[in-house]
Amino acid sequence: MNIATLTTRSGLPLLDFNSRPDPTSAFMMLAGAIAGGIGLAAVFINLFLDGHAAFNTSSDMAWGAPIAYYLFFLLTSSGLTIIASLDTVFGLRTFYPIAKRCVWLAIITLVAGFTILALELGHPFRMLWAMPTALQIYSPMWWMGALYSIDLVLLCVKFYLLHTENWNSRLTHHLSIVSFVVCILAPGTLGLVFGMMAMRPAWYSPVMPMYFILTGFMSAVAFVVFFTSLLRRENSAAAVVREHRRADEQLLHLYDMVLPRLFFVTLLAVIAMRVGQIITGLWSNYEGMEAHWKALESPLFHIEIWAGFILPAALMSTNALRANPKMQLLASVLFMVGIFSARLELLIVGQQVPLFKGYWADYVEYTPSFTEWMLVPAGFGIFLFLYGAGNWLLRLSESRVPERLPEPAH
Amino acid sequence: MARWGMVIDLEKCTGCQACTTACQMENNRLPGENWQDVLFYNEGEYPSGKLTWLPRPCMHCENPSCVAVCPTKATYKTEDGAVLINWERCIGCKYCMIACPYGVRFYAEEKQKTQPDIRKVYPGDSGKMWNPPYRMPEHKRNLKWGVGVQPKGVVSKCNFCYHRISQAPKGTPDLDPNDPKLRDFTPACVVTCAPTARYFGDLDNPKSKVRQLIAEKRGVRLQDQTGNRPQVYYLAGEAATIPETRSVRRKQS
Repeated sequence: MNIATLTTRSGLPLLDFNSRPDPTSAFMMLAGAIAGGIGLAAVFINLFLDGHAAFNTSSDMAWGAPIAYYLFFLLTSSGLTIIASLDTVFGLRTFYPIAKRCVWLAIITLVAGFTILALELGHPFRMLWAMPTALQIYSPMWWMGALYSIDLVLLCVKFYLLHTENWNSRLTHHLSIVSFVVCILAPGTLGLVFGMMAMRPAWYSPVMPMYFILTGFMSAVAFVVFFTSLLRRENSAAAVVREHRRADEQLLHLYDMVLPRLFFVTLLAVIAMRVGQIITGLWSNYEGMEAHWKALESPLFHIEIWAGFILPAALMSTNALRANPKMQLLASVLFMVGIFSARLELLIVGQQVPLFKGYWADYVEYTPSFTEWMLVPAGFGIFLFLYGAGNWLLRLSESRVPERLPEPAH
Repeated sequence: MARWGMVIDLEKCTGCQACTTACQMENNRLPGENWQDVLFYNEGEYPSGKLTWLPRPCMHCENPSCVAVCPTKATYKTEDGAVLINWERCIGCKYCMIACPYGVRFYAEEKQKTQPDIRKVYPGDSGKMWNPPYRMPEHKRNLKWGVGVQPKGVVSKCNFCYHRISQAPKGTPDLDPNDPKLRDFTPACVVTCAPTARYFGDLDNPKSKVRQLIAEKRGVRLQDQTGNRPQVYYLAGEAATIPETRSVRRKQS
């Protein structure tokens, strides 16, 4: 069986090898392959030479940068699934054009996140049999693993159904509903992994699942705004129409109005929630919460708040700015950098005050090692390569509306 | 079935760290991987300031949060009350280290605090992280109990010297190191304690010394508000103190 000859119901190739990759996709695949190759090679070599001593984590700071990267990718993935579900579950026509792209992005962010986790664990392959056989229902991490595994399977099936033009089938609809429920439960459970830890007061919070779901959704909006603004660097309606092969006012409405506004409003909600966390942390006398004061000294905190939250909110605050693809691009990149810092900052805050190490122990200091930093190009490399490949081979701009208008003259 | 527990009399403890050293030798720990440690605290200020200390093994909690969070059930509670790690199931996710309120767990596959890295001086073979020149006899090493030199990529912690206490005669109320018949079944830190500040026995046995001490000298547990209910009790008496804080409490200036 030659995979290149397989087709969908309407005769479109399953993998579109016939077309040449557009320059953006080609660049992404190349950049992804280089970054991912260098990153993975560096990590593998150092892990082989030094084991996990190549990381700067310690028994006092047990979870470090790799877990932060993992959070970044997994929560973004869940947010992307929510955006895809706005169409496939709730029937919001406005989001049709980006649904398929979001499902693909959700799959590849999960793959990048899982890859990073596998490199962080002491025995990743043992996990494959030890977790299913343990059935430890008291462990939020067990549920998190189970739900994200289910999430990945459902997303793959959902993508296959959309790709084979089964947008309107009952199966797709029902599967999308299940996938939506799982993509809420999975980041929620990931929130519980941190939020249920009463012995780590800086994390302990019943709203941690909500914070994870909300910030995951916000990262997803930033991802979508980023990638859709890349499609239209020419800042013209023609580019959008050409990409989607549809002359549809709705598309422009989505890109110029809906997505930037969604970005702005969700960011305001994230800021409100984060301000609540910071004030609680600074006000509280409870032992362990002094880490919030320590956080004020960290550049990560300021990157998160000023560059990641306040500046993008200002950039998206007026109609004129919101409709400008360059501003969209800038705001989304700034937010992604900010939330990336926020994930690492969150990890550090919860562990910075040592547990029973005596008066001679100080705050636990932590800076990622070279190997830990190399997980960033590794993760983003995998992500970019798969995104570029998807953009080339999988018709990510396809949407449910069946009519295909001829390409507009340009 | 016994439910083993420990009582540490802080009025008798001199903070000499012999327990830490004995544990290191018995269990072949790496430098800094102190399953049993003695923590030091400064209390008060001149002229009434003083130095206090707290010996800290694993608390072997009745309701251990580390067991609840372990996604593979590698960490488990035995019927006789010890909290152990099955190194054949541990995936090294370190969630137990996050969830332990007492900071008693170690992931030894990290940058070593002392150089040269002793693991490179004595490289491990046949699944061992390293090969200490002095080590526990091979037949006592038990991966399912987390006893002996650990493999790579797993979490480790005090196991109440389970290779010793699990061999104790059934129905023994106390493992008294002064009794030659019981000495070999008593945890190393208890055996070595020069001022006999440590007692080890069956918390469920009404005849046990540990139970008597807890009742008569008002034994307290560390951080009881966590709900973990440690099986290690401290006797503060009139002269000693239990540290109020888990760590550094900075002055708000």
